[in-house]
Amino acid sequence: MARLDKIGKDAIGVAGVLAVLALAPLVVGSDYFTGILTVCLIYGIWATSWDFMSGLTGRENFGHALFIGTGAYMAAFVDSKFALNPWWGLPAGALVAAAFSLVVGFPTLRLRGPYFALAMLAAATIMQRLTRIFWQYTGGEEGIPGLDTLFDDPLATYYFCLGALVFTTAVLLLLARSSWGTILRAIRGDEAACQAAGINVTFYKIVSLMISAAFAGAGGVLYAYYQQAVTPDVFGVALSITLIIMVYVGGMGTIYGPAGGAILLALLPELLRGLGEYRLWVYSLVLMFILFFTPGGLIAPLWRRVTGSPR
Amino acid sequence: MRGVFTSVAALALAALGGASLALADEKPIVIGATTPIQVQVGRDTVDALQLAIDEINGKGGVLGRKLKLAVADETMDPQQGVAAIKKLTADEHVDVLIGGYSSGVTLAEEPHIAEAKTIYLDVGSASPSITDFVKKSYKRYKYVFRVNPINAPRQADQLVGFTTGKLKSELGYNTMAIVGENAKWVQDLAPVLKAGMEKGGIKVPMMELFDPDMSDFSPLLSKIKESGAQYLIVILSHANSDVFVKQWYDAKFPMPIGGIDVKGQDPDFFQRIGGKAIAETVSLGMLAEPVTPKTMPFWNGFTGKYHRPPVYTAPGAYDALYIYTEAVARAKSTDPDKVIPELEKTKYLGTQGTYEFDQQHDVKPGPGLINLLFVQWQDGGKRVIVWPKEQANGKMISPPWINQRAEAK
Amino acid sequence: MFNILVYGAVTSAIYAMLAVGFTLIFGVARILNLAHGAFYGLGAYAAYVLTSQLHWPLLPAAVAAVAFVAVFGAVMERVLVRPLRGSGLAVLMITLAVALLFEQGMFILFGSEARNVPAFITATWTYSGLDISGQRLLTLGAGIGVLALLYLFIQRTRLGTAILAISQDPEGAQYMGIPANRMYSVVMGLSAAIAATAGVLTAPFLTVQPTMDLLPMVKAFAIVIVGGLGSIPGSILAALLLGYSETIVAYTFSPAWTEIVSLIAVLLTLILRPAGLLGKRAAF
Repeated sequence: MARLDKIGKDAIGVAGVLAVLALAPLVVGSDYFTGILTVCLIYGIWATSWDFMSGLTGRENFGHALFIGTGAYMAAFVDSKFALNPWWGLPAGALVAAAFSLVVGFPTLRLRGPYFALAMLAAATIMQRLTRIFWQYTGGEEGIPGLDTLFDDPLATYYFCLGALVFTTAVLLLLARSSWGTILRAIRGDEAACQAAGINVTFYKIVSLMISAAFAGAGGVLYAYYQQAVTPDVFGVALSITLIIMVYVGGMGTIYGPAGGAILLALLPELLRGLGEYRLWVYSLVLMFILFFTPGGLIAPLWRRVTGSPR
Repeated sequence: MRGVFTSVAALALAALGGASLALADEKPIVIGATTPIQVQVGRDTVDALQLAIDEINGKGGVLGRKLKLAVADETMDPQQGVAAIKKLTADEHVDVLIGGYSSGVTLAEEPHIAEAKTIYLDVGSASPSITDFVKKSYKRYKYVFRVNPINAPRQADQLVGFTTGKLKSELGYNTMAIVGENAKWVQDLAPVLKAGMEKGGIKVPMMELFDPDMSDFSPLLSKIKESGAQYLIVILSHANSDVFVKQWYDAKFPMPIGGIDVKGQDPDFFQRIGGKAIAETVSLGMLAEPVTPKTMPFWNGFTGKYHRPPVYTAPGAYDALYIYTEAVARAKSTDPDKVIPELEKTKYLGTQGTYEFDQQHDVKPGPGLINLLFVQWQDGGKRVIVWPKEQANGKMISPPWINQRAEAK
Repeated sequence: MFNILVYGAVTSAIYAMLAVGFTLIFGVARILNLAHGAFYGLGAYAAYVLTSQLHWPLLPAAVAAVAFVAVFGAVMERVLVRPLRGSGLAVLMITLAVALLFEQGMFILFGSEARNVPAFITATWTYSGLDISGQRLLTLGAGIGVLALLYLFIQRTRLGTAILAISQDPEGAQYMGIPANRMYSVVMGLSAAIAATAGVLTAPFLTVQPTMDLLPMVKAFAIVIVGGLGSIPGSILAALLLGYSETIVAYTFSPAWTEIVSLIAVLLTLILRPAGLLGKRAAF
């Protein structure tokens, strides 16, 4: 009975959040709001995908933008250079991002702590510089503008992204709560012990990174088709770090927390638009307060308190 | 008693009548400024627009309606730019968008501007790709116009005019090096420049593009010295011009410099780098000289109200607003479908010259239209127009450590 | 050739000053201070305010600027970092927030345009085809001086020995009566002072802008990793390596590729020799 109660509270909570997210754009009825929220959802996909790999294994990836940018540029190439149906961008983006993660992950995943973080940061930044150096193919810092959208109606785009976020969170949450997740957490705890116990640690790390990259790349594709343009910022350090902050605020390792953190922190600068020039300063200040006073994250602990669920 | 009653009633009726008349015209025309407000170019765009708005409202507005300003910070991040466009169009329902600075941001915003079917007047981005959209897909992108600056390849043409007409023909320089930031607009412009210069009989032994984040130019300057050039043409916008020019001065570099240096256009550039911009020649749209009868009133109005001189987006924004309101007045409506044909017929004498648009809605350069002025920083921060000949008001000088080729007459 | 030698040395000196402070605070307190670039920037801006707005003479302004940033660093450690020391990630995040606040603060206070700081030495030297400004030579000299002073400080003073002790064994040091927490603030202040010195010296010929903290931060991070986290000699060696590779690439190949050199160097180091050149702490 108690168990049913706990599941019930969780389920009601989830249903509630989904209802709010589904109805919000209809209630506000402005393309601006719908657009902003769409971007928030995409950030949610990125943050969740980061958490699945880095949150669980403790290998913080400071270059997640590499996968995002890869997905975005693949979408741009598919739509603009190869003039194919933009929908092909989704599998293309996800697959190429996963392939990149294999290439970069293989030599770097054996590194610990700040070393892996920096290697990923370097990889993403190198990619960013390369897009500027090979400007004939990538449009340099002007990027590739004028892309198509997946849907004509911004609401349709929104609901598709909402579905994508729900799908991503559900899949990754399931994986995280399965034996896969247990192994990843064990790797965070003591990798040597796992190795000694006969677990192929490298396999798990690489495959998790690939899964993380695939979802991030897919998110990048959605982003490209929403923005209708890609620019080198999509590989940037700022984006990678923003995601880590979002995950942190959401609650590292919880998978669903980062989605909430992303939506909150992506929405905040838009809500502060009334502050004009001081907008980003206030945003940094708010961020600092959140980071200082909620070192365990904001969203996930809040969720646990409200629904009484243990995790 | 009845008399008082009647008078009061009459007054009330008159007031009501007046109020309803006012109410009928009250819906203002909203001007949406989309610009990076943390940067000087953004602040000046907003301030120049406000200046124009106040002037126009003071004369009764447009079509009996007042103008109102709505501002959205587009930053230099395309994502924020798209959000800014959406905020102004879908949330604040502006009648026209004016702004722009970073071409990457403007390009990303264009499909959303087209989607919102709102007229957009670019006053800061120079990429030719911006108006290419109009050519490729007129029906969808007809809302986009560029008022300022003239686009990058056209700036190259004007620079060719300066190098062949002034530097070569009048001062005898025949070997020049070209250096610029490795950015798309330079990549578009540099080949046009080089070809034009060579066609004009100038040897270009070196053309080098450097990483825009570079802040230590010593290796680059050394390389240029070894190329044997006599004059250094620079093409800089987002790169660290301040640093480049300071390092040029500190190294007592044996070549004078000039060209396109957007930061070098800033009225306080000379003073903020401690006078080290001496003898640098920079292309400009406008400065405190009566280029047209409207230049000085604008300059004085801006500096009087804001206590600082304007940067290049300011005259663009100011003139853009007048161009728009005059088109609206001719169209007798703010409906874009009616205003766009009027905008296409624009022939407006503004602060920088006469504005006309070509087939792609891009501002046309040329005699009698809009031209780049080539202006040199001289002693004490004085700016002297050295080219074109018709507008030149002084002689070109050499950097103090180089003793040749100054106009000795 | 001579050009490369001298310019490479100047670049390396700047990088060394940036990297040494960063690796110092990590080696001693295990803090990855993402606000390190902000210390560099604050030094430059403080020098700007004192010289251009308050019209102080150059030398007192420089000293005051460095002192100000040192205090700022120590206070930051005490107020923001110490309460969060339980979690390395929390410390990382809060220093990041400080860096963001710095950038935004400078935007609001001083605007986005580059600011000017007058040079200490305005003369230019020419020697066998090389033109070099006095300010750059001063930076080179001061950089060497600062590093030498740091070495002497750590090896020869009691405070320095205490710092060494804490970096080797925090608990043991505390048993010996060394107040670890207070030491961390001191080291942070020291680290900030070195970064600020670099900022003050390079401000006249490099850039003073709100975004000036990002690139030096990334470079310092890269150099420290290549040299070995926590190793001061490693950082100096890596700074030389990176400073010279960038200068050589700029001279001989193309200036469009200079910034990518450090990144490739980092990636290669991490793949081939993850502990860095002289790393004490293993990367595995």
